[in-house]
Amino acid sequence: MEVLPQFKLHRPASLAEALETRGSLKEARYISGGTDLLANIRRGLTPTENLIELSNVAELQRFERDGDGLHIGAAVTLAVLAADAGIQQDYAVLAEAAAAVAGATHREVATIGGNLCLDTRCYFYNQSQWWRDSNDGCMKYEGEICHVVPTSKRCYAAYSGDTAPALLVLNAQIEIAGPDGSRRVPLDDLFNDDGIDYLTLKPGEMVTTIHIPAPAQGNMASSYTKLRIRESIDFPLAGVAVRVASENGKITSLDAAVTGTNSTPIRVTGCDEFIGLEFDEEQGQKLAKLVQKQTSPVQTTTTKPQYRRRAVTAMSKTLTQNLLQALST
Amino acid sequence: MSDELQHPRDSVTPNDPHPDPSPNPERKVRSVGERLPLIDGPDKVTGRAKYAGDLGQDGLVGRILHGRYSHAEILSVDTSEAEALPGVVCVLTGDDTPEPFGILPIAMLEFPLANGRVRYRGEPVAAVAAIDAATAAKAISLIKVEYKELPAYYTAEDARAPDAEQLHESRTGNLERDVHFELGDTEAEFANSDLVVEESYQCAEVNQVHMEPNAAVAEYDPIRKHLTIWPSTQVPFYGHLIFARCLGLDKGQVRVIKPFVGGGFGARTETLHHEVICAHLAKATGSTVRLTTSREETFITHRGRPETQVNLKMGMNKDGKLTGLASEVVQRGGGYPSYGIVTILYAGTLMYGIYDIPAVKYDGYRVLTNTPPCGAFRGHGTVNVRFAIENLMDRMADELGLDPFEVRRKNLLDAPVYTANDIMVNSYGLPECLDWVQKESNWDERIKNLGPNKGLGMACAHYVSGAAKPVHWTGEPHAVVNLKLDFDGAVTALTGAADIGQGSSTMVVQCVAETLNLDVSQVKLMANDSDHTPKDNGSYSSRVTFMVGNAALDAARNMRQILAEAAATLLDAKPEDIEFDGTMYRVDGSQDPGIEYMDVVIEALKDEGTITAKGTFSTPVSAQGGRKYRGAAVGPTMGFSYSAEVVEVTVDPDTSQVTVDNIWIAHDLGFALNPLSCEGQIQGSAWMGMGQALSEETRYHNGLLISGNMLDYRVPTMVESPPMDIKMVESIDPNGPYGAKEAGEGSLPSFIPAMANAVKMATGVRMTETPITPDRLFEARARFEREQANKVAAE
Repeated sequence: MEVLPQFKLHRPASLAEALETRGSLKEARYISGGTDLLANIRRGLTPTENLIELSNVAELQRFERDGDGLHIGAAVTLAVLAADAGIQQDYAVLAEAAAAVAGATHREVATIGGNLCLDTRCYFYNQSQWWRDSNDGCMKYEGEICHVVPTSKRCYAAYSGDTAPALLVLNAQIEIAGPDGSRRVPLDDLFNDDGIDYLTLKPGEMVTTIHIPAPAQGNMASSYTKLRIRESIDFPLAGVAVRVASENGKITSLDAAVTGTNSTPIRVTGCDEFIGLEFDEEQGQKLAKLVQKQTSPVQTTTTKPQYRRRAVTAMSKTLTQNLLQALST
Repeated sequence: MSDELQHPRDSVTPNDPHPDPSPNPERKVRSVGERLPLIDGPDKVTGRAKYAGDLGQDGLVGRILHGRYSHAEILSVDTSEAEALPGVVCVLTGDDTPEPFGILPIAMLEFPLANGRVRYRGEPVAAVAAIDAATAAKAISLIKVEYKELPAYYTAEDARAPDAEQLHESRTGNLERDVHFELGDTEAEFANSDLVVEESYQCAEVNQVHMEPNAAVAEYDPIRKHLTIWPSTQVPFYGHLIFARCLGLDKGQVRVIKPFVGGGFGARTETLHHEVICAHLAKATGSTVRLTTSREETFITHRGRPETQVNLKMGMNKDGKLTGLASEVVQRGGGYPSYGIVTILYAGTLMYGIYDIPAVKYDGYRVLTNTPPCGAFRGHGTVNVRFAIENLMDRMADELGLDPFEVRRKNLLDAPVYTANDIMVNSYGLPECLDWVQKESNWDERIKNLGPNKGLGMACAHYVSGAAKPVHWTGEPHAVVNLKLDFDGAVTALTGAADIGQGSSTMVVQCVAETLNLDVSQVKLMANDSDHTPKDNGSYSSRVTFMVGNAALDAARNMRQILAEAAATLLDAKPEDIEFDGTMYRVDGSQDPGIEYMDVVIEALKDEGTITAKGTFSTPVSAQGGRKYRGAAVGPTMGFSYSAEVVEVTVDPDTSQVTVDNIWIAHDLGFALNPLSCEGQIQGSAWMGMGQALSEETRYHNGLLISGNMLDYRVPTMVESPPMDIKMVESIDPNGPYGAKEAGEGSLPSFIPAMANAVKMATGVRMTETPITPDRLFEARARFEREQANKVAAE
C-alpha cells in the first residue's frame, strides 16, 4: 500500500461549520474513523484534496435513550455500541453486528455512520493502482467494463456493512444533514442496488443520527450472524440479521435483512406470512427460500457466490430457529 | 570433526543427554536445556531493533516498475520523461542489469530487471532512484513500455501442452526438471497387496506472508568501489556471491550486513530481485539507496509453495503394512526456476525416512508457467506429498477397519538404518511421538464420545536437519564459528548464521556458554557482517541448529582446551586433569582453593594477546546419500525430526466452516537446547500448517494476483488459533549438538492431513484438496450426500 498522498485536513467544531466547510470546497470528503476510507485513499481509489474530519462535531457524538427509543450520533464508535449493556439487552442484533465488524482495533475508531456508508467492495476494485491499471480498471473506477459480469451495464460491487441489516430489522430511521437542511428517512431509503451509486446521499450530505424505535413490549429477540472465512478482520461474505417476536410458540413478528450479497443491504420481504404460525421445518424452509430468492451474490470475492447464497440461506433459518427456541425457554 | 560422527552402520547407543558434559555436573547455571528468552528479544519488543526499511533514511528512495503482462516481449522502454523529472537521480532498465542470477548455479535464468521478456505479471521491468518516495512514484508512472503479448500459461497442464510456447529457451516443454525413480518393484508389490487404492490430490499455492515486507538498503563508495548492502534475507552469503556477480565486482569489494529480519519461512532463502536492483541503483548513483516494497510486491515476488497435484497409488496388507507407494507429482513452478529442481527432488526423496516401504516409485514434474516464481517454503518439498500420503493411509485404514495409530506403528523404521535410497536415519523418536499424542489427546476415549459435527484426526511427518549437501556444493565447511577472547574475559562468538526470528543467535550463545561452562551473560555474539563474521550458508532447511550448533561446540572445545592449558601451567598440572566449575579452575578431585577464571584468562592471553578459536562442521560422506537416481543427493540429512499430531475439529452444519478446537503435537527434536524457543517453533509450524489447511491460497485473474493483500490472502487470526499441547520428544541424536536436531518445520506437514482426517470423521467427507475452505467443503458434502442418496436409491 502506498503512503498517504497530500491533502488538506479540515477540523470543524460543529455540524454547521462542517456543512459550511463542505459548501465552500469544490471537492472534499468527510472522514470519521477512516478505517476504510484511508485504505482506499492509499490505494488511489478515492483521491481527494480535502478531508473534513468530524471528531470535534458534538452533534455526531449523541448517544441517548428516551421514550422514543435510542438516538445514536453517526460518529459513535462500533466498540461503544458493541459494549453497551442497554443495546446488548434490548437491541442485541446491533451489538452483535457492531462487534462483528473487522477487528478489535478497527472498532475502537470505526463509527456507525461510516459503517452504514461503507464503500461497496469487489476484488477487481479493492486493489492497488498498478493492479487496476494492469486490468484496465473497472466500471466502478477508471474503467469501462464490470469484470464480474462483463456484459453488465451496472456495477455489482457488494455492499459490506455489517450494521445495516441489524438497523433494518430494528426499523431504524436516519437523519441526514446537507446544504439544503436536514431530513429524517427510513434507513431503507439510504441505499441503492448499484455498486457505484450505492447511497442516495446528495453531494455534501452526511448521515448525522440513527434513531431506533423503543423496543416493543413482549417476547422479542434479535441476533446477527456473519459468514466469513476468519472470525476477525474479514468483511462479510454474507451476513443476516433477524428480529422475531412470539407468543405461545406462535410468531407475532419477524424481520430479516441480509448484507454482503448485493450492492445494497436487503430487507427480506414476505416475512409477514409467518405471523401466527409456528416456525417448524416447513416454515424454516420457506424463510430459507425467501432469502434465496432475494439475494444474488456474484463473484466479487474469492469465495464462490453459490456457496455464499446457500450458506446465508441456511444461516437465516438456523438463526431464526435459535432465537425462537431461546424465547420459548 | 567428521571422523567423530557416528552413522547407523556403527552400533549406535543413545548418548547421555549432554554428550559434552560440563566438568562440574553440579554447576548451578546450565545454558542448554533451559527456557531462555532470545538474546535479541528486548531489542525487538522495545523497538531498538533496526530492520532494512529503518536504515538508509538519508539515502535516495528506490522503486520498481512492474510489468503488466503475464508473458510478453519488451519492445521498448522509454525512460526519457522519468529521467527529466526533477528529483530523479537514475533510471535503470533491463539493459543496465544484463547479468542473470538464481539460487541454483544450474538455473540462473532470472534477471534483476527483465531482459527482453516478462514471464509473469508483476515482473520488475525498470527501476528508479529519486530524492523521495513521491518523486520515485511519479517517475515510475512516466516510464513507457511497449510490449508484444505472447501466449500465457497459468496451469502446469497448459504449459506442458505439446504446442505451448517455451518460456525459456533452455527448458524444453516448459519442464524445469522431471525426476523418475523406482526402488523395488511397485507393481509386483501392488499385485500381492490386500488393498490397493489410487487417489488424486490438489493443493493450492501458498505464500509465506512473512511479517516484514521485502526491503534492502545499499551503499556504494565510487572511490573505493565498495558495495555495502543490508538486505532482508535468510541467506546473506548467497547474496554476497550474487551481488558480486551481477554488479561485476570482486567478492572482496562487497560487504553484506544482515539487519534484523522479520521472518522468512523460505521466501528469502534466495537472493531476490529487489536486493540486486537496490545494489544496482546504489552503484549507478554512487550513493545510498533504500528500496522497500509493498505487501503486494512482496506477495508477487512470492517464492511460496507451488500449486501441486499428487497422484498417489498405495498398497497395504490387512495388517496395515504398507507394501508399495507410487506417486506422480506435478508442481506449477512459475516463470523462473528458483529452488524448483530441489523442490521436485525433495518431494520424491522425502517419501523415505519416516516409514518402511518395500517399493517406491516416483515421477516428478516441475513446470514453468506464467505465474510468480515459487521457491522454498517451510517444510520444503514434503508438505503436499505428506498430505496425500497420510490422507490416503487414513482412508486405507478405514477401509481395512484398522486403527490409524496401529497402521503407523506397523510401518515404523527399524532405526538406525539406511533407507533404500541411502538416506541415513539415526535417532528416531516417532514411536514415542505416536504414544504421546494418542495418550494425551485421550484418543481412544475421545473418539467414542465425539458430539455431532466433531471429528478427530491424526497424522505424522518428518523433516531434515539441514541438507547434507548444500545448494552450492563446493566442499567447503558447512558452518564455521569463531570465538574471540580478550582481556575483558568475555567470549564473543562470531557467526554468519542468519537469525530471522528463529533464535539462531541465542542458540550459538547457549552452545558456547555450555561448552565453556560459562554463564550465557559472559558470551557475546556478533552475527552476519561479512567483513567480520565467518561465511555461513544461511538459514534454510533447518540446518542452523545442527550445523552451526556443532561448529559452535567445536570452537568452544578448542577455546576450552586453550584455557585448560593456561590453568595447567598455573597449577602445574596436565591440561586433561583441569576442571572448571564456572568460577574456579582446579586440578580434578583436588581440594585446592583453585584459580579464578580471570586469572586463567590473563595467563592464556599474556604472551600473544587476543585469542581466536575456530570451529567448523562438515557432513560426512556417509550422510550425503547415494547415487541410486539422478538427484538422490537432495534429501539426505544428518538427522530427521519426527512429528505426530492429533487435531480435533468442529464443522458448522450450515456453513461447513471448520473450527480447529484442539491440537496435540509431539515433535522429536533430538534435544531441546532452548525449550522455550523450540516450543514456539513447534507452535508456529502447526499454526502455519493450519493456515494452509484452513484458508490460505493465492488466487489469480489471468495471471494477475488477486490475493496480494492480507484481506484476500487469508492467514488465520488469533481467533482461529486453538490451544496446543506440545511434547518435545528428546531422542538425543548421536551427531546433533547436545543431541539436538530440527525443531521448526516438521510439525507443519503433519497438521494438514491430521485436520483433513478429522474433517472426514466429522462429516463423512474425505477432502483431497487444500485449503479446506467452507465453500470447497460445502460442495464436497453436497456431492457426497447426492452419492449417498443415489446409493440408497440403487439399493
